[in-house]
Amino acid sequence: MAQLLQHLINGLAAGTIYALVALGYTMVYGVLKLINFAHGDVMMVGVYMGYATAFAIGREARGSFLGIAAVFAVAMLGCALFGFLIERFAYRPLREKPRLTALITAIGISFALSYGFQLDIGFLPGASPRAFPEIIEPTEWLIIGDRDVVVWNWQVISFLIAVGLMVGLQYLVFGTRFGRAMRAVSWDHRVAALMGIPTDRVIALTFMLSSGLAAGAGLLYAIKDTSVSPLMGLYVGLKAFVAAVIGGIGHVPGAVVGALVLGLVEEFVVGYAASTWRDAVAFGFLILVLLVKPGGLFGRVAAEKV
Amino acid sequence: MQSPALPVPEAPSLVPPALRGILPLLIAIPTLALFHWSLTGSDFATYLLSVVGVNIILAVSLNIVNGMTGQFSIGHAGFMAVGAYIAGYTSLQLKEVALSFLPVSASDQVLFMLALLVGGVAAALCGFLVGLPSLRLRGDYLAIVTLGFGEIIRVFVQNTDAFGRALGLSGIPQYSSPGMVYFWVFLVVLAARRLAGSSHGRSLWAIREDEVAAEAMGVDTTGYKVRAFVFSSFFAGIAGGLFAHFVPIINPGSFTFVRSMEIVVMVVLGGLGSTTGAVVAAIFLTLLPEGMRSLFGALGTEGSLAQRVDQIRMPIYGLLLVVLMLSRPQGLFGTKELWDVLPRWLPRKRRGLA
Amino acid sequence: MSANAQPVAPVSQDTKAPAALLRADGVSIQFGGLKALTDFHLSIQQGDLLGLIGPNGAGKSTAFNVLTGVYQPSQGQVLVRDTKVNGRKPHQINLLGVARTFQNIRLFRALTALDNVKVACRAQTALHQSRLGLGAKLANAGHNYADWWKALLLTPSFQREERRLTAQAEHLLEVMGLSHRRDEEARNLPYGEQRRLEIARALGSQPRVLLLDEPAAGMNTREKADLMVLIRKLRDDFKLGVLVIEHDMKLVMGICEQITVLDHGETIARGAPSEVRSDRKVIEAYLGDSYLESHGGAA
Repeated sequence: MAQLLQHLINGLAAGTIYALVALGYTMVYGVLKLINFAHGDVMMVGVYMGYATAFAIGREARGSFLGIAAVFAVAMLGCALFGFLIERFAYRPLREKPRLTALITAIGISFALSYGFQLDIGFLPGASPRAFPEIIEPTEWLIIGDRDVVVWNWQVISFLIAVGLMVGLQYLVFGTRFGRAMRAVSWDHRVAALMGIPTDRVIALTFMLSSGLAAGAGLLYAIKDTSVSPLMGLYVGLKAFVAAVIGGIGHVPGAVVGALVLGLVEEFVVGYAASTWRDAVAFGFLILVLLVKPGGLFGRVAAEKV
Repeated sequence: MQSPALPVPEAPSLVPPALRGILPLLIAIPTLALFHWSLTGSDFATYLLSVVGVNIILAVSLNIVNGMTGQFSIGHAGFMAVGAYIAGYTSLQLKEVALSFLPVSASDQVLFMLALLVGGVAAALCGFLVGLPSLRLRGDYLAIVTLGFGEIIRVFVQNTDAFGRALGLSGIPQYSSPGMVYFWVFLVVLAARRLAGSSHGRSLWAIREDEVAAEAMGVDTTGYKVRAFVFSSFFAGIAGGLFAHFVPIINPGSFTFVRSMEIVVMVVLGGLGSTTGAVVAAIFLTLLPEGMRSLFGALGTEGSLAQRVDQIRMPIYGLLLVVLMLSRPQGLFGTKELWDVLPRWLPRKRRGLA
Repeated sequence: MSANAQPVAPVSQDTKAPAALLRADGVSIQFGGLKALTDFHLSIQQGDLLGLIGPNGAGKSTAFNVLTGVYQPSQGQVLVRDTKVNGRKPHQINLLGVARTFQNIRLFRALTALDNVKVACRAQTALHQSRLGLGAKLANAGHNYADWWKALLLTPSFQREERRLTAQAEHLLEVMGLSHRRDEEARNLPYGEQRRLEIARALGSQPRVLLLDEPAAGMNTREKADLMVLIRKLRDDFKLGVLVIEHDMKLVMGICEQITVLDHGETIARGAPSEVRSDRKVIEAYLGDSYLESHGGAA
């Protein structure tokens, strides 16, 4: 029973992080109908920005609230800018081209980033994982029984940050003018443009938003894993993507639910079956979902307009 | 059924129809045999030739899915892995077996062929299992699912004792020869060209052009896509089997995402839909790193630079994809074949697509 | 306006008459809260030449999409020769003998005119699945894979089949007056010829019912006149039942024997062109005063 509870907590903690990344996939898919393959790698770049900041501000400042805030702010803003640049120079020129061209571009960017960062030329960090500074010093906040159930402070903090970001996003999409414009673009970006919505700006902002969120999520992941590596984007990104598909891609709450489900399934498989199978679980689950419910849990397979 | 029964015209060809099917084989096999026996040169040349051949098989077969059908698979190395492990395992099991009515070398080649086919069929079966759920949906899903499939294979191998876990499978008899590899190169090119030229191939093109219209005209789009994917996987499995029989050891590291991406880059660079484009790009991209290595070696630059070629290659592939999409999305040849883009004064085959 | 509308009588179903080639029985379809089509009835027999008209957004194309399996009806059923086809995929319905064209031309743009037609002809060589059981699926899969192997081995029977398909497609191009475009890529054809090629392609799937979605859109007056003659001829030569969606009133009134009028997804009138033309609701909903003015009430 206690073990079950512990797995539940760990699964939810992992799930909330996936959820933040999954939201990025879903939002970009919503406005552009593009699977932004490079999303996970953009996240990885953001994490390295945070990593650099944490070192730049020094060991003492790092632990303080302001220090943490600075790390997150630099990573998220820097990553948003990075996302903007990618959209502006790689995706925008291809917007009216066949969808495959944009998908291939995204795959190319993903590959260039995840393997470019493995080089050790200039500022590039090299292939081996690096220890991520403990900007949140791990302490046990809640212990039930004789260490039967342990809740770490970073789990609670990540959970709160993730939930906060999600609530903010929900408000942004459904409660603001920008959100309405975003949903209009998602419906049909040509018609939205005719209605006077600045489509380009909305799409650019969506990219910035999703990249920023991803950087935040990536930092939480790095804190959890206490390491950062060039390939983390690929793995976290893929799992988050799986989460978004499970929830029904393009569906905002679906992405969150999908991510939580995936986090739990992974945790339980690792906990009760075999930990070496962890990386296969997500994809096995994905294939299963696509077989049974191709549109995901909440999505529908949209009939193409004829 | 309503239109009047039309007379079926005779074949306008010098070759009798019954012979047309096997004619290329009748020409190719002696040529390949000659090629095979003339190769007594260095081991490195043999190795390089084999690698080029395997990459051609991979690129041409991936082009059936990514080029002709307009879907996008990025997990081709996964199917290659299935073929490599299954064929390698089969050969290891059959190591002691010999067909008594044949000389040893011939018996080995027969068993090798058997192992290759077992590997190819296993890969095709995996292609069916992966393709069926994902190809019912839009193209992007295939990309993700195939990528995931590669991961599943890797994890599966790492957890299976019979496949040597992370250490890999070693001691597979070295049956592969350039002759055998290029026999399969020839087969895959022939199959791809014949498919493209047939009305079945046209149906695949139709799906690439407009899936909704193809479906409305009676084309079972899911069925066609799955079939294309199964064929493609079969040849990937064969390539894997060939590979497993000329490298000293196969391990999960030989079939990573990087390998898949290499093949994708070949197909995109050659031109999505062009078989000869895939061949040319496969040759070019396989020899390029070797060329760079020997160039750096000859220039006498610091040794690390030559070693770095492999490392730098990967991000360059990624950038190459981006640059290609932005500047020349149709690749080198577009959907045309080599003979369509040859200079005008050379004899041309025919006009039109493919 | 529609509140006091008289319900339009469903198509009479004479049990002795041969089964309709294509029938819609009380079909409704909803997208979210929007009713795109409500209680739609239609019956097409061989030799029929029916028209489907209505203002923009009336549900004409939706009706086409339901009839051809692109959309699934929320209520009611679609029958092909008394076989219920709800839930079948578009290609399965096509194989039962229902072919269509598209409002916004959807040719296989990079394929030649001949190949466009040939793809449709080739599709008809698939085994017709009347039941969808596992056995039928396996038989079908076996047939399909075997067919591909024949293509790869270039067997004599496959070569003969290919020549037959080519001859068939060439014949259809000739019927549609496109022989001179045989090896031209579809995207390079002029607009009017693209429309005709789409009809040729639809005929390639050997239909018994042909659904034409605004076949005259974008054509000039002369081309339209030719098209009217052509559609009649196709119906007679190929023994088809034809359903035409059209914006051009003159075309519809000129060739169709019976016209169904849709407005906001509801059938507001049905009958011969002369009846429909004088129907108040139709005039109100669709033709409007300007039509009456310009045509003096009767043409």
